[in-house]
Amino acid sequence: MPTLTLTFKDNTIATYRIEEGQSITIGRKASNNVPIENLAVSGHHAKIDSVGEGFLLTDLQSKNGSFVNKELVSSHWLKEGDNILIGKHTLIFAYDEGEQKPDELGGDMDQTMVMDTDKYRDMLAQAIPKAAKAEAKEPVGMLSYLAGGEGEIKLVKKLTKIGKSSTSDIVVGGLMMGATAATISKRPQGYSLSYVGGMTKPKVNGATVKESVTLKDFDQIEIGSVKLQFVSEK
Amino acid sequence: MIAIESAGITDVGQKRTGNEDSFYLDDDLKLYMVADGMGGHLAGEVASALVVDTIRDYMKRFKEEGDVEEMEDPDETLSKEANRLLSSINLANQGVHQVAQSNEDYKGMGSTVSAAFFTGDTMILANVGDSPIYLVHDGGIELLSVTHNVISEQMAINPEMAQKLDKRLQHMLTRGMGIEAAVEADVCEIQCFEGDILTISSDGLSDLVSPEEILDIVKAEPPVKACQTLVDLANERGGHDNITVIVIKINADNAKGGIMGMISRIMKKIFH
Repeated sequence: MPTLTLTFKDNTIATYRIEEGQSITIGRKASNNVPIENLAVSGHHAKIDSVGEGFLLTDLQSKNGSFVNKELVSSHWLKEGDNILIGKHTLIFAYDEGEQKPDELGGDMDQTMVMDTDKYRDMLAQAIPKAAKAEAKEPVGMLSYLAGGEGEIKLVKKLTKIGKSSTSDIVVGGLMMGATAATISKRPQGYSLSYVGGMTKPKVNGATVKESVTLKDFDQIEIGSVKLQFVSEK
Repeated sequence: MIAIESAGITDVGQKRTGNEDSFYLDDDLKLYMVADGMGGHLAGEVASALVVDTIRDYMKRFKEEGDVEEMEDPDETLSKEANRLLSSINLANQGVHQVAQSNEDYKGMGSTVSAAFFTGDTMILANVGDSPIYLVHDGGIELLSVTHNVISEQMAINPEMAQKLDKRLQHMLTRGMGIEAAVEADVCEIQCFEGDILTISSDGLSDLVSPEEILDIVKAEPPVKACQTLVDLANERGGHDNITVIVIKINADNAKGGIMGMISRIMKKIFH
């Protein structure tokens, strides 16, 4: 099992062994497994949990933070030789010689698993600053008529059909118009317009679409007598 | 209408002793899927097989009998077929969840699922978890599934922060089949074209083979051979997980015969 060596200004103060299945607390108070008597250290500063084959360091929202190899961390999977700075003291994480270490990218987490939703939210709440905690919003595409109609059409459907058929989401007349002439689909990377059938092919910014094109903001779509402008809104 | 040429294989890889992946392909039903199971002992295999079987049976009934019970609240933003696929995924989720809840040996088991279903001239893609669906179209490759893991979810919110997260979190899924009583799949419906190639795989492939490499291989080789080349490549690079891949090629349907077919061909020539 790995050890933690507590040092202060190049002097080794103590060595602690971490056992599998064990949690170790680090802090100023004497009740910690690794007590560090220094005012720069919070009462309960950080902890190390044995998780699967690995060891996870978690900062317990300490006043001065925990640093691993000079980087501020909120949680960190410990590797051989990691240098953990708590206040002015350093803890060095090391495995015994010849001891089996979890793979660099391995450990238990190499196995795919699903995160417990509540635990996940809690963990993220700690790992990510509050300002960044906005939910990702999917942009919604919008078509506005430039000719052949009035108003706007919100592209909420995954597949919006344009054509002569009355079941189309956008009905466009014309002798050469296909029942479904074109479709606009919502993909993970954005919206795309595809030609489906009929003699009238759609045009985007004047260029005829033979198969499909990705739509960009302010693209002008022309199909038969109708002209539409595409914009995506956050 | 379209004609489809498809192939799929699964391989245990180099490190695992069992194969927890399941897959299904059916050119008549035009349904293709990959499920990557998780959970100790045999639970992962049970979960992924249950997911695939449930979806297959439901979609078969939908095609053959058409009298599958109506959905309670269909998603208005989707086509009827996409709603069907979604129902089958919901049903499969419930099935796995119930087995996991009622049987101590299967507690905590789950699976991913990525499915493609072709209708007329569109394809419907749906997924839960991190098994990628790629579309090769017009010389490019595009991810059509939404990756439900911690890293990808954070990338969408704050890319800078997400890059600092532990890379191992990419194996931490935020959604899975059978984990909770209900599940929300991501769905995408698009037009398909002659020459399009779709790949559905487990992360055992995509962790080791880049999208660009997939693109080059599926373009150069017919589906059966491409599947084998992709699996071999992942195995050469360590094969740390089970590897499953389906390759689907969209060909032109030349079977369109009769007078209407002839007229439409002539019309095309005149107006092209």
